[in-house]
Amino acid sequence: MESLAIYVPRLVTTKEYFAPGHRACMGCGEALAVRLVCKALGRNIIIANATGCMEIVSSPLPSTSWEVPWIHTLFENTAAVASGIEAGIKVLRRKGKYTKRTKVVAMAGDGGTADIGFQALSGVLERGHDLIYICFDNEAYMNTGIQRSSSTPLGASTTTSPAGKVSIGQTTWKKNMPAIAVAHDIPYVATACHSYPFDLMNKISKAIEIKGPSYIHILSVCPTGWRLPSDLTIKAGRLAIETGIFPLYEVEKDRYTLNLDFPQLRPIEDYFKLQGRFRHLSKEITSQIQERVAAEYAKLKKKATSNNY
Amino acid sequence: MTEKDKTIEIRWHGRGGQGAVTSAELLALAAIEEGKFAQAFPSFGPERRGAPVLVFNRVSDVNPIRARVSVTNPDIVVILDPGLIYITDVTSGLKEGGVLIINTTKTLVDITSELNGPWKLAVVNATSIAREMLGVPIVNTTMLGALVKATGIIELESLTEPLKERFGARAKGNIDACRKAYEETEIAELSGIVEKPRKTFETETFPSWQELLPGCVVTEAGNAKQYRTGDWKSERPVLDHQKCIKCGICYLFCPEGCIGQNEDGYFEANLYYCKGCGICARECWTEAIKMVEEE
Amino acid sequence: MKRTGMEGSFAIAEAIKLARVEAVAAYPITPQTHIVERLAEFVANGELDAEYIPVESEHSAMSACLGTSAVGARTFTATASQGLELMHEVLYVASGLRLPIVMTVANRALSAPLSIWTDHSDAMATRDCGWIQIFAENAQQAFDLTLCAFRIAEDPIVLLPTMFHIDGFYVSHTIESVEFLEQEVVDKFLPEYRHPYPLDPDKPVTIGAFGPPFIYTEAKKAHEAALRSSKKVILRVWQEFSKLSGRHYSPVESYKAEDADVLLLCMGSFSETAMMAIDKMQAEGQKVGLIRLRLWRPFPTEELRQAVSKAQVLIILDRALSLGGTPPVCSEIQAALYPLKTRPKIVSFVGSLGGREISAQGFEEVIRHGVDKAKQGELDEFEIIGVRE
Repeated sequence: MESLAIYVPRLVTTKEYFAPGHRACMGCGEALAVRLVCKALGRNIIIANATGCMEIVSSPLPSTSWEVPWIHTLFENTAAVASGIEAGIKVLRRKGKYTKRTKVVAMAGDGGTADIGFQALSGVLERGHDLIYICFDNEAYMNTGIQRSSSTPLGASTTTSPAGKVSIGQTTWKKNMPAIAVAHDIPYVATACHSYPFDLMNKISKAIEIKGPSYIHILSVCPTGWRLPSDLTIKAGRLAIETGIFPLYEVEKDRYTLNLDFPQLRPIEDYFKLQGRFRHLSKEITSQIQERVAAEYAKLKKKATSNNY
Repeated sequence: MTEKDKTIEIRWHGRGGQGAVTSAELLALAAIEEGKFAQAFPSFGPERRGAPVLVFNRVSDVNPIRARVSVTNPDIVVILDPGLIYITDVTSGLKEGGVLIINTTKTLVDITSELNGPWKLAVVNATSIAREMLGVPIVNTTMLGALVKATGIIELESLTEPLKERFGARAKGNIDACRKAYEETEIAELSGIVEKPRKTFETETFPSWQELLPGCVVTEAGNAKQYRTGDWKSERPVLDHQKCIKCGICYLFCPEGCIGQNEDGYFEANLYYCKGCGICARECWTEAIKMVEEE
Repeated sequence: MKRTGMEGSFAIAEAIKLARVEAVAAYPITPQTHIVERLAEFVANGELDAEYIPVESEHSAMSACLGTSAVGARTFTATASQGLELMHEVLYVASGLRLPIVMTVANRALSAPLSIWTDHSDAMATRDCGWIQIFAENAQQAFDLTLCAFRIAEDPIVLLPTMFHIDGFYVSHTIESVEFLEQEVVDKFLPEYRHPYPLDPDKPVTIGAFGPPFIYTEAKKAHEAALRSSKKVILRVWQEFSKLSGRHYSPVESYKAEDADVLLLCMGSFSETAMMAIDKMQAEGQKVGLIRLRLWRPFPTEELRQAVSKAQVLIILDRALSLGGTPPVCSEIQAALYPLKTRPKIVSFVGSLGGREISAQGFEEVIRHGVDKAKQGELDEFEIIGVRE
């Protein structure tokens, strides 16, 4: 459990940049993650947002939940739009037409990041634009009604990877986006979750200070798509970390840091049993998943310890 | 036009996630099973789990259904969530002599004072029936029983097959709940007069095309604050000041960002926005917050 | 002013430099590539103070342009054919968000089969995207109209992206003589770009909110009205430009058409070859003339009606198909002339697809064949000229 200091308001700005009145589902982890991200980003930013839940719930004309400059254009091009904003500011600053040091932030869901927006993201990371790309990963296409993405975990039942008599649901392992980001040799990659708000906000603050591209992958619990009661959003996120299925870590150049390490991971069963999307899984499949989670966690831990000099 | 030629139009009021769409679909399937013509469709929009939603049915004994527009002058209105009658004009456009069917814990006499008009009123405590028969307060199939009792639009038995088809192993509970609601629904003929709608669905006025800024840019930052998501909730958080240690953890975890510190240092939810997700109550270390049902 | 020998692509690049473009995002595709290669050189040599974003696709090229333009930087890109098609969905966003990006399209046929050669299939496939679309026939026009395009696009009452069409190879890769303007003259003609509602933390705006049914119609009406009313700005800018340069442009341009009974209508570079056919036939005493559409969007209905008002026969040569339908230019012209009491007989041809050439003599044959068809009343269907049976 994250050591929370008691008096939250002394540690967190009370300013909100993602205004209430947004139309996210009750208990939406992604809305919470966006709210926390925005707090950490502050006001001197420009956001480019991909099509998806957060775009839809925050911007029905003529209203907006955004208190910072924000642009939505399409689903797959958010990284590219953000790179344009960054380049535009750069040239305008050079010409004395723009004086602020504004951080550009791209936001997208897991579908907009790992699937349809993958190419544009890779282009932006490779070109080294000075921006933060944040993936809000709720592990399926929730905006269109819970279809599988390449970020959906093995065994999860979605509307296009339904569990059935001859199927366990999603048959593929979750695409490792943070590792792909690391492979682009960018200065900062991190994972985070709304259930660990201070860790999340610290990582955003760190990314703001970094020159060049940062990639932050935030697990965002979706009570609707994961089929769990809306009050269990925070708990589910916590269990994802405590079971090791979604470890919190950072990669600064080659240096890995496991932000929360557990001498003993909780059994994956504790995480699965909360959620309807895993309810159909047999003991056998669950234990296979357990093994892979342990192996992946061990790999990560090895990377983190080998560079602890 | 004979009575048989008439198309009966139904409007369902529910909340995202309550299954109003399923109810309307099952009704249409049952009517089609009886050899009637029927349609069912939702009003599409960005509203999510908890938000008020509308769903529509049309049923005709003899004529194919041609209308592909929302129902604005219903013969029948069904209300799945009792809280909705306070936030939206559920009787809007309801025809004289129409039928209003509502899930409520209130008695027929009590509710009449709130929804009096030139229509038939039917009440049932569907939430309690659903809890008893299904173990969850999901009232969509239960309300089908009340609808059949109040209107006779289809035979109760016609729902059995569609329910089995939809719910498989869980069909029995739904069939039982439907039947129990059919038995327990109370009906009264009212004779009230409606002078003007209490609140229409869309009271806002929208800009003309000349008033839109280039590219429809919105210059009023955060103006979504005017939108009351508090209407979505069926439960609200209540703070026990004795137990609250003013730590602010509830503030930190609220997806709406609607919890703020008052003058005495307590953290309280702004019910104008609170959707009633219950995260604050669940995450409160000292168990100072309890969720209580609205109504 | 002195004439310089230069490839069309480089003439456009000169115009971009003179326009002090601030951002270029582009992806290579034949026959557009020479333009952006030259721009990359300008940036690399410090001759142009711009950000050059070498994106990984045309989709990202146009997407990055959305970003640069929305923040307030003067933005240019260029593409052709498949690249334009890959941008297709982004084109609608650029115009719907009213971002005055200027883009050169080096017209090229579409796959399949793959063809790198010129026709207008790519241009015509984008005609409903809400952009201003202008056609140039040679390097001089390309230079002039590129400069004008920024003035038009960025005008506060227009604020629309502008697509500027040249024929691939025949203009992009052809060296010819061009007269340039001095930097001071261009600076005076083209003021700095100011986006009225840029992305700026000091005045946070939301750009790209979605349109529910109660507002989408109004949004599209506003877009349509802006595109239609852009014509008066276009006329004004071209007029002003003619005072600077002595070169005059108009939405529909006539060539020796005053007393013509028969008019040929076409667009793009081969119009100039067609002029040779007109010269020859007029010398032989035939009453033939030529008109070209310079402005394709907004469609210049009034100017077109005026230009064809005295003709008996109008022969339209499309350089693209609308597969299964009427060729695009012809169908637009038929629609524009239909409400008139008297109008010329229209003969519809499609030709010069995927780089197939038409010589001056070929144009003569087209005109003669068109007149025959008109005489015989064969006006029902279009004909693909030069196709082997």
